[in-house]
Amino acid sequence: MRTPDVSRRRFLLGSAGVAALLAVPSCAYMTPKAQQATTKPVEPKIDGDLVYFNWADYVDPSVFEGFQNEYGVKVIQSNFDSMESMQAKLAAGNQYDIIFPSAQWVQKLVVANQLHTIDPSTLKNAPLIFDHYAYFADPWYDAKSAHSIPFSMYKTGIAWRKDKLGETLTGGWSDLWNETSKGRTFVLDDRDEVLGMLSLLLGYELNTAGDRELGNIVDRFRSLRPYLRGFSSDDYNNLLSGDAWMHQTWSGDMAALLWQAEDASIYGFEAPSQGTPINSDTYAIPINARHPGTALLFIDYMLRPENVEKNINYIGYPMPVHGTEGAYQEIVADYPECTVTVADLARGLYFSNDSVAKTQARDAAYTEMKVGL
Amino acid sequence: MTHESLPPRPARKERLWTWMLVPGTAWMSVFFVSALLLLIALSFGTTDALGNPRFGSTLDNVIGVFTPTYLRVIIRSLTYAVAASVICLVIAYPVAYAIARHGGRYKNALVALLVVPFFANYLVRMYGWQTLLSDESMLMTWLRHLGVSASFHILDTGAAVIGGLVYGYVVFMILPIYASLERMDGALIEAGRDLYGSSLRTFFTVTVPASRAGAYAGLALVFLPAMGDFISSQLLGGPDNLMVGNLIQEKFFAGQNWPLGAALTMALMVLLLICMFAYLRQTARDAKEARR
Repeated sequence: MRTPDVSRRRFLLGSAGVAALLAVPSCAYMTPKAQQATTKPVEPKIDGDLVYFNWADYVDPSVFEGFQNEYGVKVIQSNFDSMESMQAKLAAGNQYDIIFPSAQWVQKLVVANQLHTIDPSTLKNAPLIFDHYAYFADPWYDAKSAHSIPFSMYKTGIAWRKDKLGETLTGGWSDLWNETSKGRTFVLDDRDEVLGMLSLLLGYELNTAGDRELGNIVDRFRSLRPYLRGFSSDDYNNLLSGDAWMHQTWSGDMAALLWQAEDASIYGFEAPSQGTPINSDTYAIPINARHPGTALLFIDYMLRPENVEKNINYIGYPMPVHGTEGAYQEIVADYPECTVTVADLARGLYFSNDSVAKTQARDAAYTEMKVGL
Repeated sequence: MTHESLPPRPARKERLWTWMLVPGTAWMSVFFVSALLLLIALSFGTTDALGNPRFGSTLDNVIGVFTPTYLRVIIRSLTYAVAASVICLVIAYPVAYAIARHGGRYKNALVALLVVPFFANYLVRMYGWQTLLSDESMLMTWLRHLGVSASFHILDTGAAVIGGLVYGYVVFMILPIYASLERMDGALIEAGRDLYGSSLRTFFTVTVPASRAGAYAGLALVFLPAMGDFISSQLLGGPDNLMVGNLIQEKFFAGQNWPLGAALTMALMVLLLICMFAYLRQTARDAKEARR
């Protein structure tokens, strides 16, 4: 009989919250234990199997195999599907040796004393990053990169169908208001990306939370709504299925699009002139990791240029490791604007953290935009 | 046999039945009631810098639910859920009727055929619809060949969302109606005809009242999950088709505002409780009438 299933489904769908609450033990509500602000740097030595926590399919499986063979340890994998769910698992007390937070989340975790200290001089391959990408020597999210090592970089731009909208667009965020693409334009379903896009267009600070600015952003978005087909973070699938002719898109997803498209030449990617938000993912070791030494060796192993190239060819994201730039250039040869340059990084268009009140003000504005009044 | 003539039940047997309630009660209080209480408590809570929820005593979240933005989405969800329930009833009744009255020895096989597609996960089936209805899908290409305008699309419209809800829950309407029609004594219809009722009149005065309880149960079984659904709207809906389930999901995940999500969940549950109460009163009234 199907009836019990109904109540379960209602339970899940009607109140996703109940499910989420069940998944996270009550310790999520306790104040995090006060920790020393600076811990001793992790030593690179094998101290057990590697418990790995990342987005699904973000590392070439042969790279894992190589690590397991070389160091004689196992890699125990689990995946998250958003930074928020990663945080929920960490807050619940789950122990992982290595995680891959975005820059914004590194800052949050560092402030909360949730990450081990990493001394770059203990990593043989660290100079490949820090000697060539000076930006990462002291990034905004983690002073002196003391708790994180950069993994990948990406920017947000516009992808479009050249066969429907033409070979070139005007090169600005206002391209989203395209008459021909009306009803086939998508924005990312991401609060920071949508608010950030409008902030750049209106000349505001990327992370603005001012009442007047948010009001203007909501107003301006109202004029984009009639053009929109949807809010979706499934950018390359929407383009591949033909539902989207124009899509606010993460540069990293262009590689997936190119690899899966029957005819890749009908797609274009532009980095709008008002600026593109830049983001980076990192390697970090949670403070409660049981095998931090193995994790540190894993980072060093991952930074070997041959492994970086394998991963670039597997996920299609550029990585700030000297000598591997060519591998990425090859993938996006037809979309030069996907490349994240040192100059892009220096422009400082990062999504940063703010007080809870300001974050909630931004969230309320985004909800208003999504609902549409 | 009247009630008075029944022998009194032995007390020991009564106690056994009471004890059998214990596992279920324990299960529900640990996994359902306590989670519900947490949710109620959390709707008065706050959020810390990492997005972790903290218990508190603020009324901000509860008040926040009563803003035009949320009320609008709640009203839209109500409309979609009512529309889906009515469409389900219109589709389910003839199906249930045909199987129950004319299914003959294939009755069980036909019911099984209806149920089998639901062995696949709801989410997977919705992804299937998304692929089927997308602009360059076979179906849409074919429709355009038949002369449908190029700008016409089904995906990302309110109709697609309601269609998804109907497809997702129609079986919960068919089964209770089928059960009530199947239980009905065929001789009642013959009696109606013997008393010179036309087939239409017999249908409305005999068959419909007999299956009313099944239809009410079906309406409740479709309406309640449809009201809280977020998958149909997320996969088949456009920017103007957001439902309250989507907002709740967003507050808990990307929005990292569990307290507001909890307050929205409470609002939805209160609304559903009111509907459930109306349903229970109606069925109680019907049962009383039937006894008369």
